[in-house]
Amino acid sequence: MYPEYLKMTLYRSQVQYLQKNLFPKDYLLIQIIRSKKFIDNNYANNINLGDIAGEAFFSKFHFIRLFKKYYGVTPYQYLIRVRVAGAKKLLQSGMSISDACYGVGFESVPSFTKLFKAITGTTPLACQLKAVRKSNFE
Amino acid sequence: MKIKLTSVTVTHQEKALKFYTEILGFVKKTEIPLGEHKWLTVVSKEEQDGVELVLEPLGFAPAKVYQQELFNAGIPATAFNVDDINKEYERLTSLGVIFSMKPTQMGPVMLAVFDDTCGNNLQIYQL
Repeated sequence: MYPEYLKMTLYRSQVQYLQKNLFPKDYLLIQIIRSKKFIDNNYANNINLGDIAGEAFFSKFHFIRLFKKYYGVTPYQYLIRVRVAGAKKLLQSGMSISDACYGVGFESVPSFTKLFKAITGTTPLACQLKAVRKSNFE
Repeated sequence: MKIKLTSVTVTHQEKALKFYTEILGFVKKTEIPLGEHKWLTVVSKEEQDGVELVLEPLGFAPAKVYQQELFNAGIPATAFNVDDINKEYERLTSLGVIFSMKPTQMGPVMLAVFDDTCGNNLQIYQL
């Protein structure tokens, strides 16, 4: 409970309104969040859409539609983003480009490089060099 | 063009620096005296080379009205990402921070809003 001096704010009432009207089915929300956590925890493994949809107990088509509704991106786009973020950390820690690529679940260096550039705006090599320059400077 | 700075307008810069560093856990990055006020920024402890948050002095009268109305409506001036919102809520509450919205689910995001003691509501969120 909130203390009495804390009245219901406009913002809190809007959040509650949106939750009630846009996300009324708790069980769907729980399943979609579960699938997102599945990606977060398993992105480096060889997972595919079937694995992710299965984790949420949905058919593939239904799952893609719901995931996009909740997160604004498809499960595949989200998986790629998480993998690229993971690769960026590995590159910054000094790992080679190919080890970082395979280490986060990508299967080819050229496609990894292309996706990395599309998502971060820089190449894996440039990211790695930037980290090396920074560590030398420090 | 790069996004390197963002800002919140604060009623007292010194008080804000204390709150944002000692309570929230940010780190002071830059402090340059500029007459009556100063150029004052903080960064996240985990990303000290990341985006800087400018604690901007409230020196423009119409901005005071705007800030006050946002505050009254409970609308956050900005938002910070956290890994575990319930843990952060407990930590901040134990330090005396006042929340106008406890951790609340909205779709796939958990949100909470609190008073920064310098005229603003701040939001923390967990994805």
